[in-house]
Amino acid sequence: MQVANHYGKSLFLSAVECEMFQGLTFESIDLPDIAVELRTQVREFLSQELPAYGLPNSDFNAGESAAFSRRLGESGWIGMTWPRVYGGAERSFLERYVVTEELLAAGAPVGAHWIADRQSGPLLLKFGTEAQKMRFLPPITRGESFFSIGMSEPDSGSDLASIRTRAVKVDDGWILNGSKIWTSGAHMNHYMVTLVRTEPPSENRHSGMSQLIVDLADPNVTVKGIKNLSGDLDFNQVFFDDVYIPDEQLVGEPGNGWQQVMSELGYERSGPERFLSAFRVLVEFVREIEGIATAEQHALVGRLVAHLVTLRRMSISVAGMLEEGKLPATEAALVKDLGNAYERLVPELVRLQMTGALSSRFAETLNQCVLHAPSFTLRGGTREILRGVIARGLGLR
Amino acid sequence: MNQEKQLLVDTTQRILTDLCTADVIDSAEAGHFPRALWQTLSDSGLVLAGFPESLGGSGGDLQDCLLIISEAAAVCAPLPLAETFIAARLLQSAGGAVGSGPVTVASGYFVLDENRILHGSAKDVAFARWCEKVLVVAGRSGQSVLCLADLESLQVQEVNNIAGEPRDSVEGSVQLREDQVFLCDNEPLEMLHLLGAQTRSIMMAASLEKCLERSVEYALGRTQFGRPIAGFQAIQQQLAIFAGEVAACIRAASAVIDSAQHLDLTEIAIARARIGEAVGICTDIAHQVHGAMGYTLEHPLNHNTRRLWCWRDEYGNERFWQETLGRIVNAGCADDLWATVTKW
Repeated sequence: MQVANHYGKSLFLSAVECEMFQGLTFESIDLPDIAVELRTQVREFLSQELPAYGLPNSDFNAGESAAFSRRLGESGWIGMTWPRVYGGAERSFLERYVVTEELLAAGAPVGAHWIADRQSGPLLLKFGTEAQKMRFLPPITRGESFFSIGMSEPDSGSDLASIRTRAVKVDDGWILNGSKIWTSGAHMNHYMVTLVRTEPPSENRHSGMSQLIVDLADPNVTVKGIKNLSGDLDFNQVFFDDVYIPDEQLVGEPGNGWQQVMSELGYERSGPERFLSAFRVLVEFVREIEGIATAEQHALVGRLVAHLVTLRRMSISVAGMLEEGKLPATEAALVKDLGNAYERLVPELVRLQMTGALSSRFAETLNQCVLHAPSFTLRGGTREILRGVIARGLGLR
Repeated sequence: MNQEKQLLVDTTQRILTDLCTADVIDSAEAGHFPRALWQTLSDSGLVLAGFPESLGGSGGDLQDCLLIISEAAAVCAPLPLAETFIAARLLQSAGGAVGSGPVTVASGYFVLDENRILHGSAKDVAFARWCEKVLVVAGRSGQSVLCLADLESLQVQEVNNIAGEPRDSVEGSVQLREDQVFLCDNEPLEMLHLLGAQTRSIMMAASLEKCLERSVEYALGRTQFGRPIAGFQAIQQQLAIFAGEVAACIRAASAVIDSAQHLDLTEIAIARARIGEAVGICTDIAHQVHGAMGYTLEHPLNHNTRRLWCWRDEYGNERFWQETLGRIVNAGCADDLWATVTKW
């Protein structure tokens, strides 16, 4: 990895006495040469694969194809930072960054493998047993095994520590009862890493939780679809009725679930999916004004590209930190909050610059984005929760 | 940042802490040149740190200059550091040197006649009243030349911007010697404009960061309803937005510093578009958090915010740079947009 460390300046708040504050850093990072070659390979792959999938959509959650994920796995681009012994390619986080942003920008249907690649796999690598890694990781890298995240519940949204889904210890395993909600892809995926209470709530709200791998094909698991604003059946409520989970499907230590979940956030919040969801709207806008752009339209493209380039560089800085083994939770929250605000801004500003009839391609891209936009600042940590995390990083709380 | 650069920044910060106090800034706004501050920075080799010793510099690189300008801007040092840097860069490109400073630059309308007399006028000449020389771009038989004129031979009318910074009007006619005229290969007015935009971008980023620091400190120290206002979510959420904007600005400014050697139009346009947009958001929050106290000349926040409101309009406001960047992007087709973005 080449790090051009010319000006790695931290947001210094030296005058502020605060134990928590470690400084927010977004170092300038040049992507290594090998990542540049990789980008070319991914573009070639996409130019051959994508035409089969219709109108591109850069929202990671807006399209999925098991066939596409399998083709990606064959190319070695799922779980690519993981050890070879588990099917990975032992490549850097910066190389993974390049692959993920190319997939999103092109509007590839990445929804099937996305969570397994981004989050469930790294979680298992960090906390899983050797047997779990050997069992779950290789099929993920082949694009054959898909995961959901089970965190929110009907009465527990941002207040995750209030979850009530419970697993009770029995011989060789656990009996699970309760329900999870907003579970993207649960109707299509194979497993769900589920945060549950394994001890009753105590004074320390964050203790007594554990993560279990639930087999979504289990007959005692019921998945009910919930239509989102666009009419898509993407997320679900999942019900557990005395589901037996063998000990081999407990992730990490019982009672350590909260800490484990928190450690995923650096991966979950800093990636390009946090600022590229509306990218195809910008592409179609540029197409729509090609050759006839007014000064105001030029200015809007410039404004949105200035944001995009800067967000991209910040996200790459975080990928560099992940590569160094750091867990930049505050920086990740900051990238997500800024990136989500940007994603919300793109359709709102672009629509004001259009007059007259829109091409149907542009109209469809814009409308899909408008309907999905409310989710951008909710999923993966709401705007308000993220700003709380940032405020803590600033030493305010 | 490597060790040498860190040392340079530390030295600059020490001098600024000692000599660039709120009183010094107020006194400069009342018309007094902070000579001791200038002299100390100059004697320490910090004014032209990035230029070769043969040009009166300290032999560092251009990033050194920008880092020093950035530190000085954070604490609102009322000095023509950026202007002297711009003049030195322009002259260096034409094989010249600024000599002893302070030097300012003017982008008004000037003509150099066949008797080598410079005629013309310019507005908004930063710190002219305190400078020895002004570098202007003049037309001579359809060609642009750089002229380094003594300011004492020109009329300087004192004008201040809303931050109390000298933005004087300069006019008159002055006979120049041969060694005050420099031919240049490039388009010097364009370069002057770019250098102006470059320095203002990093100055704004540094000043915004200082505003955030001041605001966080204030929120932790100010008690209302029986506790520090930092404890209220309404304040925390506002400061979190502020921090996001500042982080983006610092990242954009660091890209400008990284590309200092090439004076990259695209990088400067990105930074000016991004940072210019942040100034309004951030100064709004900074003042809201500081309450009525921040609305007085007694609190130093105003030194930063009033300068930010001026700098964002100098050498092209964010709208100008957004359009500049948009035209660069839109020169390609829609399907090339992503390839363009990933090259930057």
